[in-house]
Amino acid sequence: MNKLKILTKSIWVFHFASGPCNNCDIEILDILTPRFDVERFGIKLVGSIKHADCLLITGMLTRKGVVRLKEIYEMAPKPIAVVCFGSCASSQGIFKNSYNRAVPVDEVIPVSAYIPGCPPRPEAIIDGIVKVVKKLRGEI
Amino acid sequence: MSIGKLIFNFLIYPGFIFVLLVGGIASFLERKITARIQWRVGPPFLQPFYDLLKLFFVKETVIPEGVNIPFFILVPVIAFSSAVLTSVLITNIFIKSFQGFTADLIVIVYLFTIPSLCVIFAGAVSKNPLSSLGSSREMKLILSYELVFWTSLSIVIIKTGGKITLRDILTFQENSKPIVFSLSGFIAFILSLIVMQAKLGKVPFDISEAEQELIAGPYIEYSGALLGFFKVTHYILLFSLPAFISVLFLGGLNIFKYLLLLIFIIVFENTNPRLKITQAIRFFWFYLFPLGIIGIILAVKGL
Amino acid sequence: MKEKIKERLRERIVKWEEKSKRRFYIQIKKEDLKEVVKILFRDFGFRFCTATGVDNIKNFEVIYHFSDDRTGILYNLRVFTDREKPSLPTITDIIKGAKWIEREIHELFGIGFEGNSDLRRLLLDESWPEGVYPLRKDYEYGRREELPDSLTCSISEGVKEGRTVIPIGPYHPLQEEPEFFELEVFGEKVIGININIGYNHRGIEKLSEGKHWDQVTFLVERICGICSTSHPFAYVLAVEDLLNLEIPERAKYIRSIIGELERIHSHLLWLGLAGHFLGYNTVWMWAWKTREVILDICEQISGNRNHYAMMKIGGVRRDILNSEVDGIKSKLNSIISALNLFKKAVEDDPVIHARTKNVGVLTKEEAINYCVVGPTARPSGISTDIRKIDIKNSAYPLIEFDVPVLNNGDVYDKIVVRVLEMYESVKIINQCLDRLKDLKEGDICEEVREIPPGEGIGRYEAPRGEVFHYVRSDGGNTPTRHKIRAPSYMNVLSNEVSAVGGTVSDAAITLAAVDPCYCCTERIQAVEFNKVKYRWDDLIKLSQEKTKKIRKRLRE
Repeated sequence: MNKLKILTKSIWVFHFASGPCNNCDIEILDILTPRFDVERFGIKLVGSIKHADCLLITGMLTRKGVVRLKEIYEMAPKPIAVVCFGSCASSQGIFKNSYNRAVPVDEVIPVSAYIPGCPPRPEAIIDGIVKVVKKLRGEI
Repeated sequence: MSIGKLIFNFLIYPGFIFVLLVGGIASFLERKITARIQWRVGPPFLQPFYDLLKLFFVKETVIPEGVNIPFFILVPVIAFSSAVLTSVLITNIFIKSFQGFTADLIVIVYLFTIPSLCVIFAGAVSKNPLSSLGSSREMKLILSYELVFWTSLSIVIIKTGGKITLRDILTFQENSKPIVFSLSGFIAFILSLIVMQAKLGKVPFDISEAEQELIAGPYIEYSGALLGFFKVTHYILLFSLPAFISVLFLGGLNIFKYLLLLIFIIVFENTNPRLKITQAIRFFWFYLFPLGIIGIILAVKGL
Repeated sequence: MKEKIKERLRERIVKWEEKSKRRFYIQIKKEDLKEVVKILFRDFGFRFCTATGVDNIKNFEVIYHFSDDRTGILYNLRVFTDREKPSLPTITDIIKGAKWIEREIHELFGIGFEGNSDLRRLLLDESWPEGVYPLRKDYEYGRREELPDSLTCSISEGVKEGRTVIPIGPYHPLQEEPEFFELEVFGEKVIGININIGYNHRGIEKLSEGKHWDQVTFLVERICGICSTSHPFAYVLAVEDLLNLEIPERAKYIRSIIGELERIHSHLLWLGLAGHFLGYNTVWMWAWKTREVILDICEQISGNRNHYAMMKIGGVRRDILNSEVDGIKSKLNSIISALNLFKKAVEDDPVIHARTKNVGVLTKEEAINYCVVGPTARPSGISTDIRKIDIKNSAYPLIEFDVPVLNNGDVYDKIVVRVLEMYESVKIINQCLDRLKDLKEGDICEEVREIPPGEGIGRYEAPRGEVFHYVRSDGGNTPTRHKIRAPSYMNVLSNEVSAVGGTVSDAAITLAAVDPCYCCTERIQAVEFNKVKYRWDDLIKLSQEKTKKIRKRLRE
């Protein structure tokens, strides 16, 4: 049996925000709340990167954030799925001309999935997670 | 009695595997009921086991730089083994033909302390300011609730006329009535329930791992299988502690009594915010301990 | 009042301009700055809003904005300094709340402040090259500095040995955004706090200078997802102040409706998070469940759950259909029962009382000194609300509502103020919706063709307090300077006094009680789980080594 199949049944998410406008972060918390409730799929938000199976990145990467991101990725126990959440993390979005930008996320660490949107709707987030799960299982 | 039966008793039923299954299901119930209270749907039935399988077989175990490696690895394993041992000792008293060591109160209470001590060690060995703060809180918490726990247990000993082995206490209750149906017994029962909540590290006493203040407290640096050991310990305690309380006060253990205690834990957890460590100490020492003393006096008077 | 000030300042005034009835600009010499600030702040009791730096190419200009909260008039002190060696006297010894403002102007413009010893970097990282100031006009739009290859996380210096430092952040579950509080603790007691921001700095003020006037509304919306209508609101008010424009009545009501909907959803969000911080997850889930109803109304009106894009210079972008008004109203009023439930829970629950009463107290004196605003100031007995005094192009002067003010300044009062404010918001929206029915559909926007040269200031009472926008135009397509001051910028700094002296558990809720919105604070800006790999001394050593390295590289 594919070991990753077990992983898809219990995804613990660590949320890394670097220069977001906050909306993505709120929507991440929002999908834990009654209307969307992703605990149905065994998804849980954890506070320590050492417990995480999925790293959610929101916001455009700032100069102060990029160092932390690298460090956090290195600390994380593998296998870990990295998801760019929102337009800013995927492409730097509206902030692409900012002087405090670093480099796009995918130039720093390998990214498994992008969920675009400003902010992505909860339905889109759940769809994105389902796709990450499918990818981990090798179905896509 | 054959060796095979002994091993079966220790490992399968009512030993390790059984306890783990019950603990896992209890953990599922806890999360499910919490979810229902919060107007959510909650996790699927096998969720606790998926979590464990993932931690043990899929995730890598990261050992942080500069820690004492043997100690770092041993701590969760010790916590796990002491939890298993306790639960086996408790469940085995129900097998009438069981010939092995029968536990008494003192051994079991000491064994119950070991997982908490391991949490302290885990925090201390992790070399992280948040985890060391977590372990210092856990230490204070143990100091505050252990006294109350012992007071509550001494009421039981006085009521049963000086019996300290679990089987004797059980037989005593079968012959007369469960200890909870007396005034002092009821006080002791309430005290034990609150201590149980603290020992399990549930709200309002999850002070040491307070997610919003200390992230995960002592567990912060643990990952993969080592974190898995802590999880298993937690599941097992979720079975063995209520079972222990139930044997002591409710005169035996069956599924209804167990569920009753479990539901109490869950409801208590969901209707209270977290206390501060100072408030917790004050609560245990200045409110519950005097109550325990009153209980002892009542028990001596025979009430 | 105007005459009194003229009288007091007399020959110190170089030039007195009245751009409109509520915007006075007073030009003074920089030598007189301290004296004048003292008079305005101490003697007249004005609140210090913020200071704006402007690069005029031939010289630098700094505008100190003072607000008279009784009449809603803004007195703006204008001082100039030369470009070669720009420097101004500091005002931090008079107003503590100016600390961050001076540090920010120093790092972004390179203007020195004589007498201010703490001019460390606030927003930019240490590897940012010395002598490069991003908000000056000679710094091209879209330019980016290369990052050095090896960087380590560093923690600020200056903590004595034997004390532990608890890092809250920058990526910490306490806040959903990156912000870095270092709590210096002795046992469980907090004895010092160091607030380290900049993880979220996005350079929006600079970005704004490269965008068309109409595009800026979308940009400022993305300063912060929670106050995503307050910033555009203040921005369009600033531009309308510059144009001296009056918008159609229907647009005024729609603006207020969307602004108040945002306030309810923001307060519910905060209430939930506050419960979460106290370890009370049930409150979190219940509050956010109620919040979904408000988000549904927002989606019905604007088409999006957040980022409504309703504001436009001269009016609003979308209309609310009169046929939908009744539906919206009944949905809105359905949350009243939930609000009653929260109010009762806060009033009755003994554990909430134990955790929040007399915790993180901010006294009235300190509140004035740190210039805090909104629901952080009102529990401390300061009754300021911009909605009552200075929002011209909105429905607030046309309707009735109260501003709840309490006196203890602790976390409990901060909760109560927010709960009471939600009732007021519901009241406001209901009144606005009623009036909408009597007005003709479609008349929602004045046409604005071009923006003449000039300057304007817009203020709005965001869920967290006063949002302040200053814009300057040279008649072109883009603003030449756009200064944004979000409420959290003033409020977060007050943690310096309110969190110190409590325990770590108290610190968490105290830090959260100002409803910090770092996105706003750094406009251009979130908390991380920070792992400290090294011991304290090692860190200091590392940090010093790095400084050496950087210096060496710069010399080469």
